[in-house]
Amino acid sequence: MKTTRFTNPIPSLYALLMLAYLYTPILVLMAMGFNESRYNTLPFRFSLKWYGALAQNRVLLKAAGNSLLLALVTAAICVVLATAFVLGAKTLGRRSEALAQNLIMMPMSIPWLILALSMLLLIRFLAMDKSLFFVTAGHVVISLPYAMLALQARIKVLDPALEEMSASLGAGPLTTFRRITLPALAPAIAAGGFLAFMISFDNFAISYFLIPAGTSTLPIEIQSSIKFGFTPEINAISTLIIGISLLCLLAAGLIMRSSLEHMLGRKDT
Amino acid sequence: MKRKQQLLTLPGVLVLAIFAILPLLIMFVYSFQSDSGAAGVTLENYARFFTKSLYLKLTYRTITSSIAVTAISLAISYPLAYFMAKKFKGMKNILMILVIIPFFTNQLVRVYSWLIFLQDGGVLNKFLQTIGIVSGDLELLFTQKAVVIGLVHAFFPYMVVTIYLALERVDNSLLEASRSLGAGPFTTFRNIVLPLSMPGVVTGIMIVFVPCLGTFVEPRILGGVRGTVIGTVIEDQFFEIFGWNFGAAIAFVLFALVVLSMAGLSHAGRRFENE
Repeated sequence: MKTTRFTNPIPSLYALLMLAYLYTPILVLMAMGFNESRYNTLPFRFSLKWYGALAQNRVLLKAAGNSLLLALVTAAICVVLATAFVLGAKTLGRRSEALAQNLIMMPMSIPWLILALSMLLLIRFLAMDKSLFFVTAGHVVISLPYAMLALQARIKVLDPALEEMSASLGAGPLTTFRRITLPALAPAIAAGGFLAFMISFDNFAISYFLIPAGTSTLPIEIQSSIKFGFTPEINAISTLIIGISLLCLLAAGLIMRSSLEHMLGRKDT
Repeated sequence: MKRKQQLLTLPGVLVLAIFAILPLLIMFVYSFQSDSGAAGVTLENYARFFTKSLYLKLTYRTITSSIAVTAISLAISYPLAYFMAKKFKGMKNILMILVIIPFFTNQLVRVYSWLIFLQDGGVLNKFLQTIGIVSGDLELLFTQKAVVIGLVHAFFPYMVVTIYLALERVDNSLLEASRSLGAGPFTTFRNIVLPLSMPGVVTGIMIVFVPCLGTFVEPRILGGVRGTVIGTVIEDQFFEIFGWNFGAAIAFVLFALVVLSMAGLSHAGRRFENE
């Protein structure tokens, strides 16, 4: 018997439309980085001059370096705090575990604007100056929940029997941690660090309110050049950031496939 | 041993207590102090906020535009999530990755890309002129519409993810059972798929609506003067006007709005979970 296979075109067309909405402006921006016009106007004339200008732009490159450093430090602090937290939390009682957990996750549900300016008020209350210490603390507060998401997803599927076995074979708690728990958590630690890094690298609000005068991060520079007139170097550096993020994402995806899938709530298929 | 291990939670909790809870308390206290430097507790900041029609109008606008962004996001995300979960087979993982990728591009860069795309004489304008839909300038940038377009773009992928995850858990055999009992596609959708996906919808609404209330960068870049919302007023109090105590009061009103909507939404979410 012959069966005619009729596939409904609507789902595919709809998905394409949504992808167009999602990607068109980003692609236009990337293209404009290669356009000669200073004001992003058409007709399009290919030029690499904005990439040349970017290479000369000390301020922008310095800011990019600061963002990178800040994000690395933030990610490192976040994975240490989050790992320690999930290991400690399972020994807490049910109620205090939930309480501590809600506390750590809270910054996810408060607009960063509010967290940023309340920290600014804390600095004033302490009669101190804005400093990189507070910027980092702010970044840790908002990135920690994301690192926690990754670690929690993993610790839930970690078999407690492994640790018990290790202990019963005479391994001390430190050895068990180093030889059993840490390797088992490693993919989640990497995933959590990656998420925290991205949140921090991307963050504008916290840095904007807390950064000391004379220092800046990439998002701050991008914002100020949007505010004070167009510089097509922003298109160029945005394209670079998007490209680098994609490469990191690809690398991360390959390395930590399983733990990301756990986070999305899917089993390995 | 157990005691010692419990202590591991302490550093994280302390960081949050010192750099999130304490600042919020300080903000609350500051909101009851006068910007004029007079000592003592005063309600003048809140009185000023709730009696000036400008601030009430901006609050109203912030809420309505956040509702608009959330509603549009929901309307466009649900079909996509549904198709991904139930219609696409091999393509759905790739599609999911494509939806998630923009999360990892700078948020400001994405807003800025809309600025370029929507500007008069820009790509969209030229395109619509070519196909004959508009003759002159688009005049879309620096309007409330531009802000909504940009914010939906920034937030709807989150909604796609939460709804997709909920739909993914809907057992396909349930749908088949419904069909074999004679229910049409619409009845099956309304009685089975939709109710079961509601927790995902509620989480999605939460994840879009709450950050929308606190936006200040996107409204300023895409909306210009007409994009003023509570967030931009707060920013001005801290950077232009130096009315920090008044700024703290407005921020606290915004915070209260956030807490109220979170409470309402999680209440709704729990109801759907129990059903």
